Amino acid sequence: MTGDSGKAQEAFQDTLREGAHRAAGGEPPADRMWFFREARFRCLALAEEGLQCEDCEIEEHEISPHAPGQISQLAPEQLAIWISAAPDPQRSALAAFYLDEFTPREILVLLELKAPELARFVRSARRQFQAWLNATTPVEVYENE
Amino acid sequence: MSLFRISRRGQLLTHFAPITERPGIDRRMRVAVMRVKRGKHTAKQFSLQQSFDKAIADLVQTTPVSQEVAEWFRNEKLIPTAKRRWRKIARNPAVISAALAVAVIVGIGVFIVMERMNEFPGSGTARKMLAIASSTKSGQLDPVNAEAGSLSDFFFMKYQLEHYDVAPEFAHLRASACKVFDDDEGHRVAQISVPEKRMQFFLFPAERNPKDMKPKLFNGWRFVEQEGWSGAVQVRNGVCFMAALRGDAKDLALYLAKQNRDASGGG
Repeated sequence: MTGDSGKAQEAFQDTLREGAHRAAGGEPPADRMWFFREARFRCLALAEEGLQCEDCEIEEHEISPHAPGQISQLAPEQLAIWISAAPDPQRSALAAFYLDEFTPREILVLLELKAPELARFVRSARRQFQAWLNATTPVEVYENE
Repeated sequence: MSLFRISRRGQLLTHFAPITERPGIDRRMRVAVMRVKRGKHTAKQFSLQQSFDKAIADLVQTTPVSQEVAEWFRNEKLIPTAKRRWRKIARNPAVISAALAVAVIVGIGVFIVMERMNEFPGSGTARKMLAIASSTKSGQLDPVNAEAGSLSDFFFMKYQLEHYDVAPEFAHLRASACKVFDDDEGHRVAQISVPEKRMQFFLFPAERNPKDMKPKLFNGWRFVEQEGWSGAVQVRNGVCFMAALRGDAKDLALYLAKQNRDASGGG
Protein backbone atom coordinates (compact mmCIF):
# COMPACT_ATOMS: atom_id res chain seq x y z
CA MET A 1 0.00 0.00 0.00
CA THR A 2 2.84 2.46 0.73
CA GLY A 3 5.78 0.99 -1.17
CA ASP A 4 7.86 1.72 1.93
CA SER A 5 8.17 -0.87 4.69
CA GLY A 6 8.87 1.83 7.31
CA LYS A 7 5.66 3.71 6.48
CA ALA A 8 3.69 0.47 6.32
CA GLN A 9 4.93 -0.56 9.75
CA GLU A 10 4.03 2.83 11.16
CA ALA A 11 0.47 2.56 9.76
CA PHE A 12 0.16 -0.98 11.05
CA GLN A 13 1.32 -0.16 14.56
CA ASP A 14 -0.85 2.96 14.79
CA THR A 15 -3.86 0.86 13.75
CA LEU A 16 -3.20 -1.77 16.40
CA ARG A 17 -2.64 0.91 19.03
CA GLU A 18 -5.97 2.50 18.11
CA GLY A 19 -7.67 -0.93 18.34
CA ALA A 20 -6.10 -1.62 21.73
CA HIS A 21 -7.06 1.86 22.92
CA ARG A 22 -10.67 1.28 21.91
CA ALA A 23 -10.73 -2.14 23.55
CA ALA A 24 -9.35 -0.65 26.77
CA GLY A 25 -12.09 2.01 26.62
CA GLY A 26 -14.77 -0.72 26.50
CA GLU A 27 -15.55 -0.18 22.81
CA PRO A 28 -13.55 -2.81 20.93
CA PRO A 29 -13.64 -2.77 17.10
CA ALA A 30 -16.88 -4.37 15.89
CA ASP A 31 -15.27 -6.76 13.41
CA ARG A 32 -11.97 -7.70 11.81
CA MET A 33 -12.77 -5.42 8.86
CA TRP A 34 -12.22 -2.45 11.14
CA PHE A 35 -8.48 -3.21 11.32
CA PHE A 36 -8.08 -3.43 7.55
CA ARG A 37 -10.22 -0.36 6.90
CA GLU A 38 -8.30 1.67 9.47
CA ALA A 39 -4.93 0.43 8.20
CA ARG A 40 -5.92 1.28 4.64
CA PHE A 41 -6.80 4.89 5.46
CA ARG A 42 -3.60 5.32 7.50
CA CYS A 43 -1.55 3.93 4.60
CA LEU A 44 -3.27 6.27 2.13
CA ALA A 45 -2.65 9.25 4.41
CA LEU A 46 1.05 8.37 4.75
CA ALA A 47 1.43 7.75 1.01
CA GLU A 48 0.06 11.22 0.26
CA GLU A 49 2.97 12.78 2.15
CA GLY A 50 5.68 11.60 -0.27
CA LEU A 51 6.22 11.96 -3.99
CA GLN A 52 3.12 11.39 -6.08
CA CYS A 53 2.91 9.44 -9.33
CA GLU A 54 1.84 11.31 -12.41
CA ASP A 55 -1.24 10.13 -14.26
CA CYS A 56 -0.17 8.35 -17.44
CA GLU A 57 -1.44 5.79 -19.89
CA ILE A 58 -0.03 2.38 -19.07
CA GLU A 59 0.36 -0.21 -21.75
CA GLU A 60 -1.74 -3.37 -21.42
CA HIS A 61 -0.93 -6.87 -22.67
CA GLU A 62 -2.92 -10.09 -22.77
CA ILE A 63 -2.11 -12.48 -19.92
CA SER A 64 0.64 -14.78 -21.04
CA PRO A 65 0.85 -18.51 -20.30
CA HIS A 66 4.42 -17.72 -19.19
CA ALA A 67 3.27 -15.21 -16.55
CA PRO A 68 3.75 -17.55 -13.53
CA GLY A 69 7.35 -18.11 -14.60
CA GLN A 70 7.91 -14.38 -15.09
CA ILE A 71 6.39 -13.59 -11.69
CA SER A 72 8.49 -16.20 -9.94
CA GLN A 73 11.58 -14.21 -10.93
CA LEU A 74 10.40 -11.12 -9.05
CA ALA A 75 11.21 -10.10 -5.49
CA PRO A 76 8.18 -9.28 -3.29
CA GLU A 77 9.45 -5.70 -2.93
CA GLN A 78 9.18 -5.20 -6.71
CA LEU A 79 5.53 -6.25 -6.62
CA ALA A 80 4.92 -4.03 -3.58
CA ILE A 81 6.39 -1.01 -5.33
CA TRP A 82 4.35 -1.70 -8.47
CA ILE A 83 1.07 -1.99 -6.47
CA SER A 84 1.82 1.06 -4.33
CA ALA A 85 2.30 3.11 -7.48
CA ALA A 86 -1.25 2.41 -8.63
CA PRO A 87 -3.83 5.15 -8.00
CA ASP A 88 -6.32 4.48 -5.24
CA PRO A 89 -8.85 2.77 -5.04
CA GLN A 90 -7.15 0.46 -7.57
CA ARG A 91 -4.15 0.21 -5.23
CA SER A 92 -6.35 -0.86 -2.28
CA ALA A 93 -8.26 -3.26 -4.53
CA LEU A 94 -5.05 -4.97 -5.66
CA ALA A 95 -3.65 -5.11 -2.13
CA ALA A 96 -6.85 -6.63 -0.71
CA PHE A 97 -7.33 -9.02 -3.63
CA TYR A 98 -3.78 -10.42 -3.78
CA LEU A 99 -3.55 -10.71 -0.01
CA ASP A 100 -5.90 -13.65 -0.63
CA GLU A 101 -7.46 -13.27 2.82
CA PHE A 102 -10.90 -11.93 1.94
CA THR A 103 -13.92 -13.22 0.08
CA PRO A 104 -14.95 -11.11 -2.95
CA ARG A 105 -17.91 -9.74 -0.98
CA GLU A 106 -15.64 -8.73 1.90
CA ILE A 107 -13.40 -6.83 -0.52
CA LEU A 108 -16.41 -4.96 -1.95
CA VAL A 109 -17.58 -4.03 1.56
CA LEU A 110 -14.09 -3.15 2.77
CA LEU A 111 -13.31 -0.85 -0.15
CA GLU A 112 -16.89 0.37 -0.64
CA LEU A 113 -16.71 -0.56 -4.31
CA LYS A 114 -19.27 -1.97 -6.73
CA ALA A 115 -18.61 -5.28 -8.47
CA PRO A 116 -18.04 -3.72 -11.96
CA GLU A 117 -15.51 -1.26 -10.48
CA LEU A 118 -13.54 -3.98 -8.70
CA ALA A 119 -13.65 -6.15 -11.83
CA ARG A 120 -12.32 -3.26 -13.94
CA PHE A 121 -9.50 -2.41 -11.50
CA VAL A 122 -8.30 -6.01 -11.13
CA ARG A 123 -8.62 -6.84 -14.83
CA SER A 124 -6.77 -3.76 -16.07
CA ALA A 125 -4.07 -4.21 -13.38
CA ARG A 126 -3.45 -7.77 -14.56
CA ARG A 127 -2.99 -6.60 -18.15
CA GLN A 128 -0.80 -3.65 -17.12
CA PHE A 129 1.31 -5.87 -14.87
CA GLN A 130 1.70 -8.34 -17.72
CA ALA A 131 2.94 -5.52 -19.96
CA TRP A 132 5.42 -4.48 -17.25
CA LEU A 133 6.51 -8.13 -16.85
CA ASN A 134 7.03 -8.44 -20.57
CA ALA A 135 9.18 -5.31 -20.48
CA THR A 136 11.23 -6.22 -17.42
CA THR A 137 11.29 -10.01 -17.58
CA PRO A 138 11.12 -10.96 -21.25
CA VAL A 139 9.80 -14.43 -21.83
CA GLU A 140 12.81 -15.35 -23.96
CA VAL A 141 15.16 -14.72 -21.04
CA TYR A 142 13.57 -17.20 -18.72
CA GLU A 143 12.70 -19.65 -21.48
CA ASN A 144 16.43 -19.90 -22.28
CA GLU A 145 17.28 -20.69 -18.64
CA MET B 1 -29.11 -22.28 -24.81
CA SER B 2 -26.34 -24.05 -22.95
CA LEU B 3 -26.82 -24.69 -19.26
CA PHE B 4 -23.34 -23.35 -18.66
CA ARG B 5 -23.68 -20.15 -20.70
CA ILE B 6 -22.38 -17.30 -18.62
CA SER B 7 -24.09 -13.92 -18.37
CA ARG B 8 -22.25 -10.61 -18.72
CA ARG B 9 -22.54 -10.02 -15.00
CA GLY B 10 -21.26 -13.52 -14.29
CA GLN B 11 -18.27 -12.89 -16.56
CA LEU B 12 -17.63 -9.64 -14.74
CA LEU B 13 -17.59 -11.44 -11.39
CA THR B 14 -14.96 -13.88 -12.62
CA HIS B 15 -12.49 -11.00 -13.09
CA PHE B 16 -12.08 -10.97 -9.31
CA ALA B 17 -12.76 -14.67 -8.68
CA PRO B 18 -11.17 -15.86 -5.42
CA ILE B 19 -7.61 -17.10 -5.83
CA THR B 20 -8.05 -19.97 -3.39
CA GLU B 21 -11.36 -21.66 -2.61
CA ARG B 22 -12.61 -21.01 0.87
CA PRO B 23 -15.98 -21.12 2.69
CA GLY B 24 -18.11 -17.99 2.66
CA ILE B 25 -17.93 -17.29 -1.08
CA ASP B 26 -21.41 -16.41 -2.24
CA ARG B 27 -23.46 -18.51 -4.62
CA ARG B 28 -23.41 -16.10 -7.60
CA MET B 29 -19.62 -16.09 -7.61
CA ARG B 30 -19.46 -19.89 -7.32
CA VAL B 31 -21.92 -20.30 -10.21
CA ALA B 32 -20.03 -17.76 -12.36
CA VAL B 33 -16.71 -19.55 -11.73
CA MET B 34 -18.26 -22.95 -12.45
CA ARG B 35 -19.75 -21.69 -15.74
CA VAL B 36 -16.62 -19.92 -16.92
CA LYS B 37 -14.59 -23.07 -16.19
CA ARG B 38 -16.95 -25.12 -18.36
CA GLY B 39 -17.29 -22.60 -21.18
CA LYS B 40 -15.61 -23.57 -24.45
CA HIS B 41 -14.14 -20.12 -25.08
CA THR B 42 -13.72 -18.90 -21.50
CA ALA B 43 -12.09 -21.87 -19.78
CA LYS B 44 -8.59 -21.31 -21.20
CA GLN B 45 -8.55 -17.58 -20.51
CA PHE B 46 -9.81 -18.17 -16.96
CA SER B 47 -7.17 -20.81 -16.37
CA LEU B 48 -4.46 -18.29 -17.39
CA GLN B 49 -6.00 -15.70 -15.08
CA GLN B 50 -6.04 -18.15 -12.15
CA SER B 51 -2.38 -19.14 -12.72
CA PHE B 52 -1.43 -15.45 -12.91
CA ASP B 53 -3.31 -14.59 -9.69
CA LYS B 54 -1.91 -17.64 -7.87
CA ALA B 55 1.63 -16.71 -8.81
CA ILE B 56 1.16 -13.17 -7.50
CA ALA B 57 -0.56 -14.37 -4.30
CA ASP B 58 2.36 -16.77 -3.72
CA LEU B 59 4.78 -13.90 -4.21
CA VAL B 60 2.82 -11.78 -1.71
CA GLN B 61 3.07 -14.61 0.83
CA THR B 62 6.88 -14.45 0.61
CA THR B 63 6.91 -10.79 1.70
CA PRO B 64 9.22 -10.65 4.71
CA VAL B 65 7.51 -9.65 7.95
CA SER B 66 9.60 -7.92 10.60
CA GLN B 67 10.03 -9.47 14.03
CA GLU B 68 8.20 -6.53 15.57
CA VAL B 69 5.09 -7.02 13.39
CA ALA B 70 5.10 -10.79 13.90
CA GLU B 71 5.08 -10.14 17.65
CA TRP B 72 1.72 -8.35 17.37
CA PHE B 73 0.08 -11.32 15.69
CA ARG B 74 0.89 -13.66 18.58
CA ASN B 75 -2.18 -12.20 20.28
CA GLU B 76 -4.82 -13.75 18.05
CA LYS B 77 -7.68 -12.13 19.94
CA LEU B 78 -6.74 -8.76 18.41
CA ILE B 79 -8.89 -9.59 15.41
CA PRO B 80 -12.34 -10.88 16.31
CA THR B 81 -13.65 -13.55 13.95
CA ALA B 82 -16.59 -12.60 11.80
CA LYS B 83 -19.82 -14.18 12.96
CA ARG B 84 -22.41 -15.37 10.46
CA ARG B 85 -25.43 -13.16 10.78
CA TRP B 86 -28.86 -14.76 11.10
CA ARG B 87 -30.13 -12.84 8.06
CA LYS B 88 -27.42 -14.37 5.88
CA ILE B 89 -28.21 -17.81 7.27
CA ALA B 90 -31.94 -17.30 6.68
CA ARG B 91 -31.36 -16.33 3.03
CA ASN B 92 -29.53 -19.55 2.28
CA PRO B 93 -31.67 -21.53 -0.25
CA ALA B 94 -31.07 -24.76 1.69
CA VAL B 95 -32.35 -23.15 4.89
CA ILE B 96 -35.37 -21.69 3.04
CA SER B 97 -36.19 -25.13 1.55
CA ALA B 98 -35.87 -26.84 4.93
CA ALA B 99 -38.03 -24.16 6.59
CA LEU B 100 -40.70 -24.54 3.88
CA ALA B 101 -40.68 -28.33 4.29
CA VAL B 102 -41.05 -28.00 8.07
CA ALA B 103 -43.87 -25.46 7.60
CA VAL B 104 -45.74 -27.87 5.26
CA ILE B 105 -45.27 -30.79 7.69
CA VAL B 106 -46.47 -28.65 10.62
CA GLY B 107 -49.45 -27.47 8.53
CA ILE B 108 -50.44 -31.05 7.68
CA GLY B 109 -49.97 -32.02 11.33
CA VAL B 110 -52.20 -29.18 12.53
CA PHE B 111 -54.81 -30.10 9.90
CA ILE B 112 -54.81 -33.76 11.04
CA VAL B 113 -55.05 -32.73 14.71
CA MET B 114 -57.95 -30.36 13.95
CA GLU B 115 -59.69 -33.15 12.03
CA ARG B 116 -59.17 -35.56 14.91
CA MET B 117 -60.54 -33.03 17.39
CA ASN B 118 -63.86 -33.05 15.51
CA GLU B 119 -64.02 -36.85 15.47
CA PHE B 120 -66.24 -38.79 17.86
CA PRO B 121 -67.54 -42.40 17.98
CA GLY B 122 -70.01 -42.73 15.10
CA SER B 123 -68.85 -39.61 13.22
CA GLY B 124 -68.09 -41.73 10.14
CA THR B 125 -71.63 -43.16 10.05
CA ALA B 126 -73.05 -39.68 10.73
CA ARG B 127 -71.28 -38.35 7.62
CA LYS B 128 -72.68 -41.20 5.54
CA MET B 129 -76.16 -40.27 6.82
CA LEU B 130 -75.59 -36.66 5.77
CA ALA B 131 -74.74 -37.91 2.27
CA ILE B 132 -78.01 -39.90 2.28
CA ALA B 133 -79.90 -36.81 3.51
CA SER B 134 -78.53 -34.73 0.66
CA SER B 135 -79.72 -37.27 -1.94
CA THR B 136 -83.10 -38.15 -0.44
CA LYS B 137 -86.18 -37.09 -2.46
CA SER B 138 -89.50 -36.41 -0.71
CA GLY B 139 -91.30 -39.36 -2.34
CA GLN B 140 -88.76 -41.91 -1.11
CA LEU B 141 -90.14 -41.91 2.47
CA ASP B 142 -93.52 -43.18 3.75
CA PRO B 143 -95.83 -40.29 4.66
CA VAL B 144 -96.79 -39.88 8.33
CA ASN B 145 -98.47 -37.14 10.29
CA ALA B 146 -97.35 -37.26 13.89
CA GLU B 147 -95.00 -35.65 16.39
CA ALA B 148 -91.44 -36.82 15.77
CA GLY B 149 -91.16 -37.95 19.42
CA SER B 150 -94.07 -40.35 19.04
CA LEU B 151 -92.38 -42.27 16.24
CA SER B 152 -90.20 -44.27 18.68
CA ASP B 153 -93.25 -46.41 19.53
CA PHE B 154 -93.90 -46.87 15.82
CA PHE B 155 -90.31 -48.04 15.22
CA PHE B 156 -90.51 -50.42 18.16
CA MET B 157 -93.93 -51.84 17.23
CA LYS B 158 -93.27 -52.24 13.54
CA TYR B 159 -89.51 -52.89 13.34
CA GLN B 160 -88.60 -53.99 16.92
CA LEU B 161 -86.12 -51.11 17.14
CA GLU B 162 -85.51 -50.39 20.83
CA HIS B 163 -84.50 -46.94 22.09
CA TYR B 164 -84.84 -45.33 18.64
CA ASP B 165 -85.95 -42.17 20.41
CA VAL B 166 -85.94 -38.68 18.91
CA ALA B 167 -84.01 -36.26 21.19
CA PRO B 168 -86.33 -34.19 23.45
CA GLU B 169 -85.14 -30.94 21.83
CA PHE B 170 -86.68 -32.12 18.52
CA ALA B 171 -89.45 -34.40 19.80
CA HIS B 172 -92.22 -31.77 19.50
CA LEU B 173 -91.64 -31.16 15.79
CA ARG B 174 -94.16 -32.47 13.29
CA ALA B 175 -92.88 -35.35 11.12
CA SER B 176 -94.12 -35.64 7.54
CA ALA B 177 -92.48 -38.91 6.44
CA CYS B 178 -90.22 -41.70 7.66
CA LYS B 179 -88.63 -44.98 6.69
CA VAL B 180 -86.37 -47.70 8.06
CA PHE B 181 -83.53 -49.15 5.99
CA ASP B 182 -80.29 -51.09 6.35
CA ASP B 183 -77.05 -49.19 5.79
CA ASP B 184 -74.03 -50.65 3.96
CA GLU B 185 -72.87 -52.33 7.19
CA GLY B 186 -76.26 -53.94 7.79
CA HIS B 187 -77.27 -51.64 10.65
CA ARG B 188 -80.88 -50.58 10.86
CA VAL B 189 -81.35 -46.88 10.32
CA ALA B 190 -84.51 -44.86 10.90
CA GLN B 191 -84.91 -41.72 8.81
CA ILE B 192 -87.53 -39.05 9.58
CA SER B 193 -88.40 -36.03 7.46
CA VAL B 194 -89.56 -32.85 9.23
CA PRO B 195 -90.99 -29.82 7.37
CA GLU B 196 -89.52 -27.42 10.00
CA LYS B 197 -86.32 -26.03 8.37
CA ARG B 198 -86.58 -29.05 6.01
CA MET B 199 -84.71 -31.07 8.62
CA GLN B 200 -84.10 -34.80 8.57
CA PHE B 201 -83.55 -36.99 11.62
CA PHE B 202 -81.54 -40.21 11.66
CA LEU B 203 -81.44 -42.88 14.33
CA PHE B 204 -78.75 -45.55 14.07
CA PRO B 205 -76.86 -47.89 16.41
CA ALA B 206 -73.90 -46.31 18.22
CA GLU B 207 -70.41 -47.51 17.35
CA ARG B 208 -69.38 -50.42 19.55
CA ASN B 209 -66.11 -51.33 21.18
CA PRO B 210 -64.87 -54.49 19.39
CA LYS B 211 -63.46 -55.92 22.65
CA ASP B 212 -66.60 -55.94 24.80
CA MET B 213 -69.23 -54.89 22.20
CA LYS B 214 -70.36 -52.08 24.50
CA PRO B 215 -71.50 -48.90 22.73
CA LYS B 216 -68.98 -46.06 22.72
CA LEU B 217 -70.54 -43.10 24.48
CA PHE B 218 -69.89 -39.37 24.47
CA ASN B 219 -71.50 -36.44 26.26
CA GLY B 220 -73.68 -33.73 24.77
CA TRP B 221 -74.03 -32.76 21.14
CA ARG B 222 -71.34 -33.22 18.54
CA PHE B 223 -71.39 -31.67 15.10
CA VAL B 224 -70.43 -32.99 11.68
CA GLU B 225 -70.46 -31.43 8.22
CA GLN B 226 -70.58 -33.04 4.80
CA GLU B 227 -71.48 -31.84 1.30
CA GLY B 228 -73.15 -28.63 2.50
CA TRP B 229 -75.17 -30.43 5.16
CA SER B 230 -74.54 -30.38 8.86
CA GLY B 231 -75.68 -32.64 11.65
CA ALA B 232 -75.94 -32.51 15.44
CA VAL B 233 -75.40 -35.94 16.98
CA GLN B 234 -76.23 -37.26 20.42
CA VAL B 235 -75.97 -40.80 21.82
CA ARG B 236 -78.49 -42.30 24.22
CA ASN B 237 -79.03 -45.92 25.28
CA GLY B 238 -76.68 -47.18 22.60
CA VAL B 239 -78.49 -45.37 19.77
CA CYS B 240 -77.27 -42.24 17.98
CA PHE B 241 -79.74 -39.51 17.08
CA MET B 242 -78.76 -37.01 14.41
CA ALA B 243 -80.66 -33.92 13.35
CA ALA B 244 -79.50 -32.85 9.91
CA LEU B 245 -80.17 -29.75 7.84
CA ARG B 246 -78.73 -28.08 4.77
CA GLY B 247 -76.38 -25.34 5.95
CA ASP B 248 -73.93 -24.53 8.66
CA ALA B 249 -73.38 -26.35 11.94
CA LYS B 250 -73.84 -22.92 13.54
CA ASP B 251 -77.56 -22.96 12.52
CA LEU B 252 -78.02 -26.23 14.38
CA ALA B 253 -76.07 -25.01 17.39
CA LEU B 254 -78.24 -21.86 17.53
CA TYR B 255 -81.40 -23.95 17.20
CA LEU B 256 -80.27 -26.24 20.04
CA ALA B 257 -79.35 -23.29 22.24
CA LYS B 258 -82.81 -21.77 21.65
CA GLN B 259 -84.53 -25.07 22.50
CA ASN B 260 -82.51 -25.35 25.73
CA ARG B 261 -83.36 -21.74 26.66
CA ASP B 262 -87.06 -22.38 26.02
CA ALA B 263 -86.95 -25.64 28.01
CA SER B 264 -85.21 -23.99 31.01
CA GLY B 265 -87.58 -20.95 30.79
CA GLY B 266 -90.61 -23.20 30.70
CA GLY B 267 -89.27 -25.38 33.57
